[in-house]
Amino acid sequence: MNHQLREQDGVTIVGLSGDIDLQNSPEARKVLLACVDKKRPVLVDLSGVGYIDSSGVASLVESLQTARKSGSKLVLVAVSDGVRRVLGLARLDKVFTICATVEEGLAKVR
Amino acid sequence: MSKRHGIDARADTRPGEAGEDAIYDHLGLLAEMGQEFASSLDIQASLTRAIEHITEYLDAEGGALFLLEDDGRILRCHACIGPSEITGLTLKSDKGIVGRCVKTNRGEIVRDAAKDPGFHSQVDATTGFTTRSILCAPMSVKDERIGAIELINKRGGDGLFAEADLHLLQAMSASAALAILNARMAEKLVEQERVARELELAAEIQRSLLPKPGTGEFPVAGVNHAARTVSGDFYDFFTLEDGRICFNLGDVSGKGMNAALLMAKTASVFRCLGKTLHQPGRLLGRLNAEICETVTRGMFVTMVGGLYDPATGIVRLANAGHEPPLFHDTAGAFASLPAEAPPLGILPLPQEQEDYPEVELKLDGGTLYIFTDGVTEGYLADGRELGVGGLKTLLRENASARAGDRLASVIARIDRGNTVLRDDLTMIAIDDRAGHARRTAAGNAPKPPAAVRETDGAEEVLLTVKVPSQPDRLKLIRNAVAETARLCGCTDDVGRDIVIAVDEACQNVIRHAYGGSPDGEISLEIRRRRGELVFLLRDYATTIDVSAVKPRDLDDVRPGGLGTHFIREVMDEVTFLPPPKDGGNLLRMVKRLS
Repeated sequence: MNHQLREQDGVTIVGLSGDIDLQNSPEARKVLLACVDKKRPVLVDLSGVGYIDSSGVASLVESLQTARKSGSKLVLVAVSDGVRRVLGLARLDKVFTICATVEEGLAKVR
Repeated sequence: MSKRHGIDARADTRPGEAGEDAIYDHLGLLAEMGQEFASSLDIQASLTRAIEHITEYLDAEGGALFLLEDDGRILRCHACIGPSEITGLTLKSDKGIVGRCVKTNRGEIVRDAAKDPGFHSQVDATTGFTTRSILCAPMSVKDERIGAIELINKRGGDGLFAEADLHLLQAMSASAALAILNARMAEKLVEQERVARELELAAEIQRSLLPKPGTGEFPVAGVNHAARTVSGDFYDFFTLEDGRICFNLGDVSGKGMNAALLMAKTASVFRCLGKTLHQPGRLLGRLNAEICETVTRGMFVTMVGGLYDPATGIVRLANAGHEPPLFHDTAGAFASLPAEAPPLGILPLPQEQEDYPEVELKLDGGTLYIFTDGVTEGYLADGRELGVGGLKTLLRENASARAGDRLASVIARIDRGNTVLRDDLTMIAIDDRAGHARRTAAGNAPKPPAAVRETDGAEEVLLTVKVPSQPDRLKLIRNAVAETARLCGCTDDVGRDIVIAVDEACQNVIRHAYGGSPDGEISLEIRRRRGELVFLLRDYATTIDVSAVKPRDLDDVRPGGLGTHFIREVMDEVTFLPPPKDGGNLLRMVKRLS
């Protein structure tokens, strides 16, 4: 799994790519929590993620909860069908804000 | 007696005219009234005809029949004839001339009604009728007061009633009282019969809930004798597709109709759940939650529920507050299996602690007996209770008989047909003798348990793969599973679902069975048969506590337990098979392909 970080208009955009599974979810968790800790809005770009398992979903949930606690927003962007299905199985597809593109996501968090 | 003789003849023979004809006619009227009440189911109609006959016979202008109601507190007019319609009129039973007559239980002639302190002038005031004289006689049988008959204004002459009229009215009132009492008793009998008939129907439905006896060497037998028409006890057994037999025996607190209804509910819910849920502890947990939700306060059910596998002789059961079942082994020793959890319907448990504890028992040719306390607390011919000791003795004495006959011989000692039973008698036996003989004949070869036999129907092994218990090998498994799914024609969506379920199951093995250690091994086999894919996931770790593996509560969005939820969501069947001989765990998941 790889990740890229950038800032735009005070929003942290973190791009994840590869599979987020038992092997990689600890790293994904660390990256996501570091972004959320800045207490600024976070866009998680999942366009490069083809597979996510329960541990990956758990990392996303933990990040969302942390963000909410500090009053900032966390939005998922460009979610693939596979990832969307897993979020659906977990009944979390309504818990997360999901946007099609980074631009749409930026508009949402601003 | 024909009407002509009874009623019409009176025109010629008035009361007071002495002679045999008069007496004959009185008797005729009395007999006719008695018959009228006896043959008619409509008491009201008979009352109306009785007051008509009496009024006409005694040549009065009006008549009314009052009955005591509301525990004797009021008198209500049930029938009347004459110029004032007062049917339905009620008086306090200590008021008026009628009240006085009922109270003293003596007939009266009131020659100047208006001057009598008990007279109610109100009726006359509203009807415009003038009551001059009243004749009133009580209706009673022995000391039971029923009411009174009141006649108003003698027609003709001085308009006054004579002593002879009173005598006659008293005779007729007594006769009417008897007829009313008889009719009431008949009505009560009809009602009792209706209730008895309905109870018999309920009992018939209840008996139909019990399983039909198995044929030949079927290993489970049961018996149920109700102390009353309906029973609060039940038992059931049925064979699952994989050859295992699901069984239960329960006892609902109480013995009446309410117990029978709760019994019917509990038995039905068990049967329904038991067909798909093959973990007795979880099944009883669900049943408890269901009963707690709807049960009447103070009622509960004790129950033993379990599964018997004739291919292995293994019984898994859970005991919810029930009498300890007795295991009789081939060496002749008895072992008792006490309950470790409370009865169903008493305490709703949080979902994560909902499962009841399970006990596993290898029968090895022995027999497991489950029974209600009606059996051990049943009275023998000499008046003693059978007791657990007595039960053991009887079972030991009859050990060579067939299971059904053994139960029958125990029940025959308590239900001797000549006494009322103290409680319902219910018992089942799970006899492993035949199963054990078959297993031994098969040459002691450890046959796979019934649940693992996948040989029926065309079956094809699609993939066998063994990997070390390392997270970085999961992608390998995922890719292999994805390709296998594609090979079988699964859509992308179904393929993705299967991949996540298998991936999560492998993760559980790595994280929980091996505790994160990378030195273990995981083997996965995928088989295809009759429109379904079967996944067998095997590890070699310490056997894990199956009851601890359960999906998380979805209302709670904290991470954890999510993987198990994915597996159950995706797969149509998820079962932990009995642990293989050389240890470890064997998980079987089935995905049906539509």
